[in-house]
Amino acid sequence: MIDVILQAFASIVLDPVTLGLMFVGTLAGILAGAIPGFTIAMGVILTLPFTFGMTAVQGLATMLGVFVGGFSGGLMSCMLTGIPGTPSSVATTFDGFPLVRSGRPGLALGLGLWSSFFGGMISAVILVALAPQLAFLGLEFGPWDYFSLIIFALTITVSLSGGNITKGLIAGLLGLFAATVGEDEINGVARFTFGFDDFKQGFAFLPVLIGLFAFSQLLTDVEDDKRAKSPLMSQSGTVVKVEHRQAILIILKRWVNLFRSSFIGIFTGILPAAGGSISNILAYDQAKKASPNRSNFGKGEYDGVIAPEAANNATAGGALIMMMALGIPGDIVTAVMLGALMIHNIIPGPTFIQDEPLLAYGVFIAFFVAHFFMVGLQAFSLRIFLLVTKIPMYVLASVILAYCAIGVFALHNIVFDIWVMFFFGIIGYFMKKLGFPLAPMILGVVLGKLAELNLARATGISDDMFLFISRPWSLFFLLMAVISVIFPFYQEAKKETLFAKLYVPVSMIVLSLPLFLMGSPVRMIVAVILVLTGTYFLYKRTSSLKTT
Amino acid sequence: MSINKDTIVAIFLLLFCGIMINSSFDIEDPGYQGMKASFWPTIVLCLLSVMSLVMLIKSIVSTTDNNLNSENTNSQNIFLKFKNASICFLMFILFLAFLDYLGMLIGGVLFVFGLLTLLGGFEIKKIINHSIISIITIGIMWSIFTFGLKVILPEGEILRIW
Repeated sequence: MIDVILQAFASIVLDPVTLGLMFVGTLAGILAGAIPGFTIAMGVILTLPFTFGMTAVQGLATMLGVFVGGFSGGLMSCMLTGIPGTPSSVATTFDGFPLVRSGRPGLALGLGLWSSFFGGMISAVILVALAPQLAFLGLEFGPWDYFSLIIFALTITVSLSGGNITKGLIAGLLGLFAATVGEDEINGVARFTFGFDDFKQGFAFLPVLIGLFAFSQLLTDVEDDKRAKSPLMSQSGTVVKVEHRQAILIILKRWVNLFRSSFIGIFTGILPAAGGSISNILAYDQAKKASPNRSNFGKGEYDGVIAPEAANNATAGGALIMMMALGIPGDIVTAVMLGALMIHNIIPGPTFIQDEPLLAYGVFIAFFVAHFFMVGLQAFSLRIFLLVTKIPMYVLASVILAYCAIGVFALHNIVFDIWVMFFFGIIGYFMKKLGFPLAPMILGVVLGKLAELNLARATGISDDMFLFISRPWSLFFLLMAVISVIFPFYQEAKKETLFAKLYVPVSMIVLSLPLFLMGSPVRMIVAVILVLTGTYFLYKRTSSLKTT
Repeated sequence: MSINKDTIVAIFLLLFCGIMINSSFDIEDPGYQGMKASFWPTIVLCLLSVMSLVMLIKSIVSTTDNNLNSENTNSQNIFLKFKNASICFLMFILFLAFLDYLGMLIGGVLFVFGLLTLLGGFEIKKIINHSIISIITIGIMWSIFTFGLKVILPEGEILRIW
């Protein structure tokens, strides 16, 4: 094990090419995160074509640089201009911007920067510790369990992506359908090709993803004529000197907030589809509730900067845990990384860490290293950021549209892929206009083939469909899927209604059933805890109903 | 009862499902044991049909959604709203249609220049800026992919003849 870790370490830290790529990746990530209208996912997607010619380790290390850099890039724009660069830095604006306006820009940036660093480090440690254990758990999964897990990943994406649940489900199903076009992997039979030879290969996942996400986003960005022609930011900000030492001391004094926020970030990252945009608000909210200086929040409170920044960087580690351990992408960024691995003929799954230890530990180490680059590059990138913000959006969008075409062509060297990107770009654009969330569709495209393959394996082993609910893990994921579909209704329901009062306790009690069926002592204990807690809540809530 | 955007989308989706379910009957069955090739797409399409039907019913019953006759949907507003997106679509189609003749380098430069000028304006100063931006950015990208990543980008008939 130690020699594998050392080899992985050498492949990252002692390889000047990989380090150079990570340097560029982190810088690009910081800038992508800092520019409003650009997201981290967009940054990682646009990096992908450059990684085709790299080794798997180099490609993933570069993307991790963009991923980690992106989370911290958002803090520059939100602190210096009051406009969040990415949705994952929205909560940082609440206290970061007032702190800057009160005359402490160096300290505000320092707090954000080092909170991001510490949050990332905590999640990196959890990633290294948890991913192999979770992968071990994944070895218990049969095709029935895997199929149900994919169904759960899709339903939770639908329920967490916001908006109309019917539209979310339709988007997910459209994604699953898009993945069926072309020759099927089990029988080699052409499906929905309508006589076109190009369709036989199916829609490659990356052109679809770039079209749905990046292409449609760029069209949205240039939609408003006036906004498209004006510079990216009207308030430009100035270069400031970051107060590193004082920021570190303040953060370490507030270690409880740092750890709490980091764990919120990790947990949110593990949940499919729940990314930094949710974790930073959750962490801010918890920090505010726990703080003795609650009234200072919104006026430049240090805890209000530490919490969201630690949480959003920790989310990255959480999302990687699911991808590394089970091969299920937690968000669009990890879906792209999954695609990058597939280009190198590596299919992540429960055996990934065992089969590809060098690559797996390389990812862990790259995740650590990217955080050091992030800290080192922040001051330098601040100057570039101030230059980039002077460019109008239409210039950026035009150049990137051309770049998307070149990048997509580079994947298989066929023009058909550019047409696919264009076609899905139009679909993505109109879906957004009509209120359909894109994340479920993207996950549907990514997971569609995997779902079909596991369903085919399951039905190939046994005709008994009852196995989907009699196998504990499969039952667990299907119950989670049902609970996640009901979740948006719970969010909308008024607190005093019977449904809202029963949702959480009943869910806890129901989820204990498959855990009891698993039989192992630890899971039995967890099941008992779930039943007891659920019953307690049920009793409390029903008795409060009686009194009213 | 009202007819709105969602109603039209739901009807379109139902039509789409109908066509696809119909074409799923044409999927060949090689007679192997195990799951048929049409099984999974049929399940997905049936679920999609059900959800589209739910969307249709919800849109008809709904009273809050934006009606088709609202002022947002008059033709001038629609044109202004989608003007830039339509320009991007059109330019991209032209770029793809002429890719075999112009190649990635010339086609890319013309695409970026055309798009920049159509979106940004036709003033002389801007046109000069746009031409510089398009030549430099596409030139750099083309060089990175051709020489750095060893990707053979479409050369185009013009460069080939030349």
